[in-house]
Amino acid sequence: MRAGKHESSEISRRAFLSRAAALGLGLAIGPALSGACAPAGPPKPTAAPAAAPPSATSQATSMPPPDSAPSAVPVVTTTSRPAAAYLAVTRGGDAETLVRRALAALGGMERFVQPGNDVIIKPNICSSAHTFEYAATTNPWVVGTLVQMCLECGAGRVRVMDNPFSGTADEAYARSGIREQVEAAGGKMEIMSSFKFVPTALPQGLDLRELKIYDDVLNADVLINVPIAKNHSLARLTLGMKNLMGTITGRSAIHQNMGQRLADLTSRIRPALTVIDAVRILTANGPTGGNLADVRQLDTVIASHDIVAADAYAARLFELQASALSYVLAGEKMGLGRSDLANVRVEEVDLG
Amino acid sequence: MARRLTPAMRRPLRRATQVLTLLGFVVLFVWSRRGGWSPAPVNLPMRLDPLLMLAQWLSSLTLLVLDPLTLLFRSLSASVWPALDVAVSAAQVTLYRVPALRNIVPALDRLIRPNVLPLLPAYYRFTTLYAAALAAALGLNLVAHRFWCRYLCPLGALLGLLSRLAVLRRRVNSGCNQCGACARVCPTGTIRADRQFASDPAECTVCLECLYTCPQQAISFPPHLARAAGQAYDPGRRQALLAVGAAVAGVSLVRANVLRRRDPPFLLRPPGARENNLLAKCLRCGECSRACPTSAIQPAVIECGLEGLWTPVLVRRIGYCDYSCHACGLVCPVGAIPPLSLAVKRQQVMGKAYIDHDRCIAWADHGHCIICEEMCPVPQKAISLQTLEVLDSSGRRDTIRLPVVERERCTGCGLCEHRCPLNGEAAIRVWVPTDELSA
Repeated sequence: MRAGKHESSEISRRAFLSRAAALGLGLAIGPALSGACAPAGPPKPTAAPAAAPPSATSQATSMPPPDSAPSAVPVVTTTSRPAAAYLAVTRGGDAETLVRRALAALGGMERFVQPGNDVIIKPNICSSAHTFEYAATTNPWVVGTLVQMCLECGAGRVRVMDNPFSGTADEAYARSGIREQVEAAGGKMEIMSSFKFVPTALPQGLDLRELKIYDDVLNADVLINVPIAKNHSLARLTLGMKNLMGTITGRSAIHQNMGQRLADLTSRIRPALTVIDAVRILTANGPTGGNLADVRQLDTVIASHDIVAADAYAARLFELQASALSYVLAGEKMGLGRSDLANVRVEEVDLG
Repeated sequence: MARRLTPAMRRPLRRATQVLTLLGFVVLFVWSRRGGWSPAPVNLPMRLDPLLMLAQWLSSLTLLVLDPLTLLFRSLSASVWPALDVAVSAAQVTLYRVPALRNIVPALDRLIRPNVLPLLPAYYRFTTLYAAALAAALGLNLVAHRFWCRYLCPLGALLGLLSRLAVLRRRVNSGCNQCGACARVCPTGTIRADRQFASDPAECTVCLECLYTCPQQAISFPPHLARAAGQAYDPGRRQALLAVGAAVAGVSLVRANVLRRRDPPFLLRPPGARENNLLAKCLRCGECSRACPTSAIQPAVIECGLEGLWTPVLVRRIGYCDYSCHACGLVCPVGAIPPLSLAVKRQQVMGKAYIDHDRCIAWADHGHCIICEEMCPVPQKAISLQTLEVLDSSGRRDTIRLPVVERERCTGCGLCEHRCPLNGEAAIRVWVPTDELSA
């Protein structure tokens, strides 16, 4: 056998010590780094929603509500548009018109988005399994129109994101058709990074005191919640409040006592605007869908600053009482919004 | 003059080839994790490996297990890669807390995910085992230079056999003054003083190091058309009997495994794979496992016996078969997992889900949990809910929904088992269906 280049098996004491030190350092740093992945640690002190950064919502909270809504509701109004509806419903047009007319009835997108705002739009892109026709994911043109409207109001940046429970976000964004419309409108599809889910206290929470919530969602100037209305066996329906589950990790925690826990989550997130896409609704086999026989085309959009009111109205599309939705009841009890739509100005626009 | 120029030109050419080949391997390795790119070229290295072709033709597990290409690929993807992912993720969590880096960390993350690292973390069982195998193969260099290549590698042995037909073969001419410089630089150690510094064509890799080194220019690599002389191999009777006996005993031992009588109940295979075809064809390269976005496909270790070593099994608690993915079949170099269209793959039955009524939150504890039903991705859900009126411990009336598997619709994708919130084994598990396995 030829003598190899590596035949010397002796190492000097100095070399041994330096190698041992390097190994020891590695062993010391390794667990420290891995430890950083653990969920432990004190929760990051986060500002209560009342002390939110200056946004359309918080500016307007101090203004008088138009319809004597509960004071805890962040009701938005402007003096120049006194006729702004509390909740707007549009029916019978293409997706873009439905969204634009609904927002016009609410007093325009400029009520929610100020020039330079950092806007996040949260559609429902729950899985990568199906295209939008199957009504498991939000209508791409509804999302695209909202992106466009935010930019028309001078938003500094409009990002769209969700965290699917089946398949990768990358693939789900593409298959849902949402990526194409968002990018065409000038927005940005962003994949949610696992390190941005930070333990966040829920100061108003009645059942849950802490959740891991996506940092950017908490820090955005404006959050626009764009669920699709669809069937769900435990929640009955998945609408605005249920859609916020995409902003957290550790979702199985929500499945127990779901109504209250969704309200607890909503109490911390408080989207400025909720736009429920009911262009198509999924009436069975939700939330995943996949069967066109379960899809009904309603060409309807519901919009309100009040997430509870929007959800309460959307229940009607499925011939349900708002009181059948445990999260609507819990949310109303916590003062997050109202479900008695008889006493607020609901503007229904038939475009057909 | 021309002879002197040639080596000087060949050396950088050889280096360039080596660097490009290594670069190509790394690029294909990164490419082979799932990211929306075409899966077609990722298994090119496996397709170019003649040993894999021979091993598959002979159905020889021994040759497969020692193939350097699959060993390297498997070790990298099942140990180095997940470790890298963990280290990067941990660094991201830590650095994201530093206020000055709050914008830089996400920007870097967008560069590396999903382009280099996967969106869902890659998990493997026995990561240390694969790392140890790789370390051992490399560590043997301390015993002898290029130990693996010279003594163990069956690919090297196969190429050695073919080298007898090599056109360019080394020749030492009369200018040799026996200085021994060539023997010292030969990386394979085939130039030996006791053979007048001649070399064995089967060992020579035509690296030309001796050609550059020889001070006398006594070495040339002229073309040959005749076959090189082979080394005689004539084992004695005792040795031949021993070899045959060991082979028979080894095969018999493997065949005596109980798995031959009884199929393992949870040995779930990738979509469309059929047990006999898979065992005969699978190269154990690990491409499917690497392409699987949820880490559901794991290399088998002991669950299907020695015969099934490193064949792909689906471990539902680690990952699920994504309803919108058919990557494993597309990257398989040999069709052990058939390349199915997405529509066909969605209808493949991998197993059937069964609920453990003694542990299920709804059935056993009358709790409110419908996660398995919620997750089921089949268009008409393969899990339905029965309603049950119960009195809870404080005497209040409650309505419980109990999941029931509609077996004929279940494909065994395992999303229900993966997401079942129970600790340990799920209360809903996918079992191997008796009928499908033997098809």
